[in-house]
Amino acid sequence: MTATDHSPKPARTRRLVSWQYARTFAIHGVLLLLMVAFLAPVVWAILSSFKQANGIIRAPLVFDPSSFTLDNYTSMFEDVPIVRGFSNTAVVLVFKGAITMFFAPLAAFAFAKYDFKGKNVIFGMVLVTLMLPTIVLIIPLLLEMKTLGWVNTYQGLILPGAVDAFAIFWMRQVIRAVPDDLLAAARIDGCSEFGIFWRVIVPVIRPGLAGLAVLTIMNIYNDFVWPVVVASSDDRATLQVVLSSLAQNITGNRIGADYATVTGELLAAASVALIPLLIFFILLQRHFINGILAGSVKG
Amino acid sequence: MARLRAAPYVFVAPFVAMFLAFSVYPMVFTVRLSFTSWRGAGDPVWIGWDNYSYLLTNDRFWGSLWNSAALWLLIVPVQLVVGVIVAVLLNSAKLRLRGMYRVAFIVPFVTPLVAVAQIWVVLFDQSYGAINSLFALVGLPEVGWLTTSTWAKPTLALLFLWKTTGFIVIILLSGLQSIKPVLYESASLDGASWSQQLRSITVPLIRPTIMFVVVLQTLAVFQMFAEPFVVTQGGPYSSTTTAGYFLYNQINRADLGTGAATSLLLVVAVMALSLMFVRMLRAEDGS
Repeated sequence: MTATDHSPKPARTRRLVSWQYARTFAIHGVLLLLMVAFLAPVVWAILSSFKQANGIIRAPLVFDPSSFTLDNYTSMFEDVPIVRGFSNTAVVLVFKGAITMFFAPLAAFAFAKYDFKGKNVIFGMVLVTLMLPTIVLIIPLLLEMKTLGWVNTYQGLILPGAVDAFAIFWMRQVIRAVPDDLLAAARIDGCSEFGIFWRVIVPVIRPGLAGLAVLTIMNIYNDFVWPVVVASSDDRATLQVVLSSLAQNITGNRIGADYATVTGELLAAASVALIPLLIFFILLQRHFINGILAGSVKG
Repeated sequence: MARLRAAPYVFVAPFVAMFLAFSVYPMVFTVRLSFTSWRGAGDPVWIGWDNYSYLLTNDRFWGSLWNSAALWLLIVPVQLVVGVIVAVLLNSAKLRLRGMYRVAFIVPFVTPLVAVAQIWVVLFDQSYGAINSLFALVGLPEVGWLTTSTWAKPTLALLFLWKTTGFIVIILLSGLQSIKPVLYESASLDGASWSQQLRSITVPLIRPTIMFVVVLQTLAVFQMFAEPFVVTQGGPYSSTTTAGYFLYNQINRADLGTGAATSLLLVVAVMALSLMFVRMLRAEDGS
């Protein structure tokens, strides 16, 4: 949009060009303002976590890089079982993630490419799972976990919701776009039905799977409601559960707690939880955003 | 081709097994539990519709629904208007830095809610928070964001808006991309202004996407739990005790029969609302 005025233009065109400039300027103004609003809280928290605890509450808007310190981090790692939170989250992430990434596309394959008796009923189950508010199931699910002896265990954290309904729904759309000829050709070559899934479908839908992987990892990493109910004990608490108990130290009147210290530790913990996911997302955002752009409801 | 016939059943079996174990069984259990009085130990006592009549005449239950409804009002209309406008701006032809904006807008959506909610607690603290410092800088009075019942709801709504609007923008953007540019070209040739195009081309054509967003966010707002749990613990004076937090309180007090009834009433309310929106938008479509 570089306006190179070599020849004198009629006044009307020039007015049009400058109007266009104003328009572009206004659009970027709005978008930039919004971008600042969206990024500011995160940036503020990460920067503040390096300040002295007193400085965070005395002068929340002042940043002096020369006095930055890791004090909040060292005291946070001492006081908060955040490492255990991370390792619990990692275990859940690996197993629950693997189950979702394998079984959801497999079921989606059946829904997309086969005709079988009861297909509509079973797909109806997927839709019901999608619509049902998760909180409805929490009480009976918790009781079920108690009966099974799964409270405060990895199984309890991993299995419920592991074959994610949204993942099935999304992958079904993706697999539908794979041409049937490919499957027929593989069948003629003597490929087994599972072989078709593994050697034909999976390689073809790899971009969709990448998007699903990003979403699944984010969901599991950020999941909070179910973990806080089923694994509230320290030894199985996930990262988010550990984090949530910190904020309550501030607002829940922990007697004798030094507000500045707790705030410093809290911002350090929040930053430690935020940063890996942010890096992960920024590296892989293309897959995720393209996934949503391609996979959601079309107008 | 026996294997061809058996294969799909094998493929969906893991999902079906999980569905039966972790959705159907608990669901049936909830319905039965909702007709009993049970505190988690001993035998449940059958009490018929008592839980339901207790809830339907309980001020706290209605209060929590009202709190959720108020949050809905503070969130969904704002998010739709802002979302559509931003999506349209992002969709404008020849926009530079589009990728950068998209990533920046969706950052709040990917950050862990608990971490962000904690940051909110610190930012909006009445005496030490950055927001009130900013207010002081420009000469505005100190506000009790999380300590007064007037401001606690808008502050939570702001957290929700901040967290999810970027994601909604991307969803709306996917709807916008299916509109053919020719429509806008001919409209501007006919002299239609920007706002006219927005009203008579954009919004009608992405109505299905808008409907999807409304239903999605209605479900999310009425289930809202982590935000009040971390930021306000339902206070001050129960002003942020959402329907989801009300249910959590009952689980916490081991009042499981009433909790089960609450969750079923909540499902009915949420499903009714969703259906109502779908109907409303369809009806408007027909006119």
